[in-house]
Amino acid sequence: MSDEEHHFESSDAGASKTYPQQAGNIRKGGHIVIKGRPCKVVEVSTSKTGKHGHAKCHFVAIDIFTAKKLEDIVPSSHNCDVPHVNRIDYQLIDISEDGFVSLLTDSGGTKDDLKLPTDDNLSAQMKSGFEEGKDVVVSVMSSMGEEQICAVKEVGGGK
Amino acid sequence: MFNGIAGGGAEDLPQLQSTMRAIELACSYIQINTNPAAAEATILSLHQSPQPYKACRFILENSQVASARFQAAAAIKEAAIREWSFLSTEDKGHANSSDAYVFSKVSSVAAQLMKRGWLEFTPAEKEVFSTRYLRSIAIFWTINQAILGSRGLDVQFIGIHFLESLVSEFSPSTSSAMSLPREFHENCRKSLEQNYLKTFYSWAQDAALSVTNKIVESNSDVPEVKILNWEFRYSKGGTKGSINVFSDGMRSDTASSRKTECVIVQPGASWCDVLLSSSHVGWLINLYSSLRQKFAFEGYWLDCPVAVSARKLIVQLCSLAGEVFPSNNAQMREQHLLLLLSGVLPWIDPPDVISKEIEEGRSGSEMIDGCRALLSIATVTIPVVFDRLLRSIRPFGTLTLLSLLMGEVVKVLLANSNDKETWSYESMDGSGGNAWLPPEGMHAAASLFSLIAESELKLASASATTDEDDADCLASVSAMDERLGSYALIARAAVDATVPFLTKLFSDRVARLHQGRGTVDPTDTLEEVYSLLLIIGHVLADEGEGETALVPDALQTHFVDVVEAGNHPVLNCKIHEQCLDANMRSSIFSPRLMEAVIWFLARWSFTYLMLVEDCNLGSNQLQSLPSRACLFTFFNEHNQGKFVLDIIVRISLTSLMSYPGEKDLQELTCHQLLHALVRRRNICFHLLSLDSWRNLANAFANDKSLFLLNGVSQRSLAQTLVLSAYGMQSSDASNQYVKDLMAHMTSSLVDLANNSDLKNLAQQPDIIMLVSCVLERLRGAASATEPRTQRAIYEMGLSVMNPVLRLLEVYKHESAVIYLLLKFVVDWVDGQISYLEAHETAGVVNFCMSLLQIYSSHNIGKISLSLSSTLLNEAKTEKYKDLRALLQLLSHLCSKDMVDFSSDSIETQSTNISQVVFFGLHIITPLITLELLKYPKLCFDYFSLISHMLEVYPETLAQLNSDAFNHVLTTVDFGLHQQDVDIVTMCLRALKALASYHYKETKAGNTGLGSHAAGQTDPNGVFHEGILSRFLRHYFMCLPFSCYSTDLVSTAADALFPLILCEPNLYQGLGNELIEKQGNPNFKTRLANALQVLTTSNQLSSSLDRLNYQRFRKNLNNFLIEVRGFLKTK
Repeated sequence: MSDEEHHFESSDAGASKTYPQQAGNIRKGGHIVIKGRPCKVVEVSTSKTGKHGHAKCHFVAIDIFTAKKLEDIVPSSHNCDVPHVNRIDYQLIDISEDGFVSLLTDSGGTKDDLKLPTDDNLSAQMKSGFEEGKDVVVSVMSSMGEEQICAVKEVGGGK
Repeated sequence: MFNGIAGGGAEDLPQLQSTMRAIELACSYIQINTNPAAAEATILSLHQSPQPYKACRFILENSQVASARFQAAAAIKEAAIREWSFLSTEDKGHANSSDAYVFSKVSSVAAQLMKRGWLEFTPAEKEVFSTRYLRSIAIFWTINQAILGSRGLDVQFIGIHFLESLVSEFSPSTSSAMSLPREFHENCRKSLEQNYLKTFYSWAQDAALSVTNKIVESNSDVPEVKILNWEFRYSKGGTKGSINVFSDGMRSDTASSRKTECVIVQPGASWCDVLLSSSHVGWLINLYSSLRQKFAFEGYWLDCPVAVSARKLIVQLCSLAGEVFPSNNAQMREQHLLLLLSGVLPWIDPPDVISKEIEEGRSGSEMIDGCRALLSIATVTIPVVFDRLLRSIRPFGTLTLLSLLMGEVVKVLLANSNDKETWSYESMDGSGGNAWLPPEGMHAAASLFSLIAESELKLASASATTDEDDADCLASVSAMDERLGSYALIARAAVDATVPFLTKLFSDRVARLHQGRGTVDPTDTLEEVYSLLLIIGHVLADEGEGETALVPDALQTHFVDVVEAGNHPVLNCKIHEQCLDANMRSSIFSPRLMEAVIWFLARWSFTYLMLVEDCNLGSNQLQSLPSRACLFTFFNEHNQGKFVLDIIVRISLTSLMSYPGEKDLQELTCHQLLHALVRRRNICFHLLSLDSWRNLANAFANDKSLFLLNGVSQRSLAQTLVLSAYGMQSSDASNQYVKDLMAHMTSSLVDLANNSDLKNLAQQPDIIMLVSCVLERLRGAASATEPRTQRAIYEMGLSVMNPVLRLLEVYKHESAVIYLLLKFVVDWVDGQISYLEAHETAGVVNFCMSLLQIYSSHNIGKISLSLSSTLLNEAKTEKYKDLRALLQLLSHLCSKDMVDFSSDSIETQSTNISQVVFFGLHIITPLITLELLKYPKLCFDYFSLISHMLEVYPETLAQLNSDAFNHVLTTVDFGLHQQDVDIVTMCLRALKALASYHYKETKAGNTGLGSHAAGQTDPNGVFHEGILSRFLRHYFMCLPFSCYSTDLVSTAADALFPLILCEPNLYQGLGNELIEKQGNPNFKTRLANALQVLTTSNQLSSSLDRLNYQRFRKNLNNFLIEVRGFLKTK
């Protein structure tokens, strides 16, 4: 299941990379690295250091994998790390007994190293769609070396 | 549950008692919170039982539990309003009670009953009727006697209380809902005003007089009497207060025409004797001062209710104006004011002593009220009179007093900030606002202003090092604005002195900054400069929010003798050049100071910059306004205008480039300063010839650092730059300018979209940022569409159409980018659609449809990971915003049919917009879940689009297939059940449009809605009734029962009328059904009559014209008043 020799990953080698971006430019809904974790920003507020000082940004963000809340304060002219968050769609081809899923890649290979998501709603949808023989497309979000299934969508077929 | 008791066998004593016990039990249950649901149900059933009067009265008279009596009174109120017309007169009375809150409920119930019956009785009847009706309290003469004290203090108190609740019930703002039209309330108010208000007032006054002596004589050792008196006085004061407010509303509000009528109805003469001649004012003031002396040593007294209400009344008397005073008798009015002023004076004079006492812990409320009184006097008089008032009793004028007062307040402010200063500011407003003051007043204003400025500076330097909370800061900004605005009024009252004074202060501070550079911590001085800039800005120019700002009169008419233009005091802004020097910048110009500079420049340039060129067109004005001429020469002939403009542009570029990450500063620069510049064409013209402006445009197109601005600023910068193209000589040149400006952005998008590795590339954060930036800029440019630049912007949009679709595909998971994409398209379509030719329209429409389809295919049926509720909510909000944008897109498309500037003739085969929009709706409605419709804005947008579509294109709807048709109507049905009045109104309008379309069409022999309306049998053999019947059935059955607000009745009538005409048979059936349901034969006949009247009275005929609609509205209104009450009874 750890067969990671996917064709496209060669061009995607920078998936774990982060990019610098000015803190003042990171807005709500964007991504940011806080304490080494990739997060989605849910709140930005600015304040000043003293009356005639420079602006600084206060971020409240949520870890995109663990949903933990993190906070950070950065001077707004400084750079922050922004994670490269990649989302790839795969077609679901199998759900095995032990909870692992098998996904069809664009190039025709399979990707078998992901488990069913812990989110009940999501996994139920995957299972039911799969059992009814529908075409189920799952989106896999990867960032900084971690991966998880983040969305599922039926594209018809089956019945 | 209570039907039996209430209906027939009410004499049954045990039953009454058991009812009472049940209610008492329920009340106590609620109090101790055991089984509240059941208890509530019990009470509710009392409320809803028909004719509960006997039971309630029994409870009122016999129960020991106060809350039970309260409930009973409430039940009576509800039932009485519901079943008014059946009420036998005996039921209308009930006993009073002494418990305070029960009592107030009872008296308000009584007042409401009075009101409900008010218009139905002649005055004579009213008295007779009230005799029975309120036994001990209500009848007017009884009240009168009661008030005069012949029945003892208790009764007197009750009488006053009743008057108070009567008045407050009758004044529209405090009346309670009776499910009757507003007109009713209005009529009641008028009649009360005309006939009784004055009488009430004199009663209250008499009563007050009669107790005054007692109060004055009463020894403070007898606390009980005192409290009683106070309470009594309070209620009386309240009564008078409300009466006053009542009549005040009409007097002061001359703007609204209806209220002025009332003033005429109530001629001065009639109130004059009560309010003015009867020495009532003198009495009141004497009373207050004697009380004041008496309790001088008890600190709490100033804030106790009696004192407060007495002061309130005095303040209100101060603002007395208009026809109350006989027009030929100015002296009387002056005397009146003088009297009041002398009464108020001890509260505020001498100011220093008073403020000291306040600092030592005395309550400041008296002083505030004093200031309020001064404010009221100032607003009803002209300054000269105002000033003279005091002169007759003191050696100095009122204005002097005021400035002394103000000075004191400012001093106090330095020590500790409290909120009482606002009032004195405002009273200053009142006097300073009126332009011409006597020289002495001007002097006072000047010295006062210097005092203010000094103190403000001290305040600033003191606060320089404190680090305020953000929230605190935000709240104080608007307060500060207001405060500075009133300072400015003061300063403008004496421009000669204040402007040079400010200039001097400013140069002092700047010099100090220069001296101390590098050695002393400049923070204090910086803060001083900061607040000075704000003050100067306010003094020199008004806020031009949404209007063309004019040079303030005072400033315009002074300085006539300034010949040398360079010395013109308003030009002291030159100092700001210094911020261009990088060295200076790092040491002096902190972001906060830059903000003030930018703010000041924006305000200043908006008012003064190159202003005179407009004037040049009508140059005859120049003679009359030498000051303008001076400005004109300065800007134009010496070519200084361009120079100043250049500086301003360079300053803004600096603030954009050299203060990375200072969001506030950048927003201020883009929104206020640059925006203000491009608002006038002549300035645009000059701007385009400036190198600095070209630099700005260049930097915008190419410089990386401008890509670092935040999104909103990017957008507004693009907008500004595109707008400046207005200054180009020809339309071609303007278009070329815009093209050059935006070419870089469009090509970068096109390049990216054509990149073979787009899928991977696009996910990189830097690319995401680039795309967002470009989209924001495109959006800004699109929103700046003007006829002159429309071509260029159209082409800009055209060239990115395909990239936009590509990006929509690639960024389907990146909701922020998607939103930007959609918003860009929305704004672009909005700007362009009305100019487009037929073939272009077709192209744009196709593009929009593919956009909708792609968006929908990505989102329909998608389920996302819900790791945390915050993220989930975020996702929902994003969805909502997207959908709202899409709905806006459709609405914009709709507007093509309304506004069309294209050169095509109407006959040209063009796109059928209505079909397109329905198709679009068909694509996106599945995405709009009921959950999402809970967002009020989305809901509103959706239903306004739907109702617009149904009203304008009912025929297109008829052509839809039955699935689509049903979907639209299901949502309309959903909308009808919303709480929001606006939504329901829109749905009703849609329904009306639909039904009247069908009716008219079928009458003309066409099919109308055809099979949709006719109903059909589905494959399983079940008959589905037609859509209109369904609505009629549904709607007619709920209308009388639901608590629709009365505002909706006329819209509902408009919808119901065509529905009834469409389906007359069904309507008959429904009517019969309704009648059959009624058990009570009495009700049955009433209902039958009402239904009969509904469709026949007022010569209602069966054509759908305006007249008939109006008639039906009236009918429905009467119908509801008639039957809603008993239909609602369970």
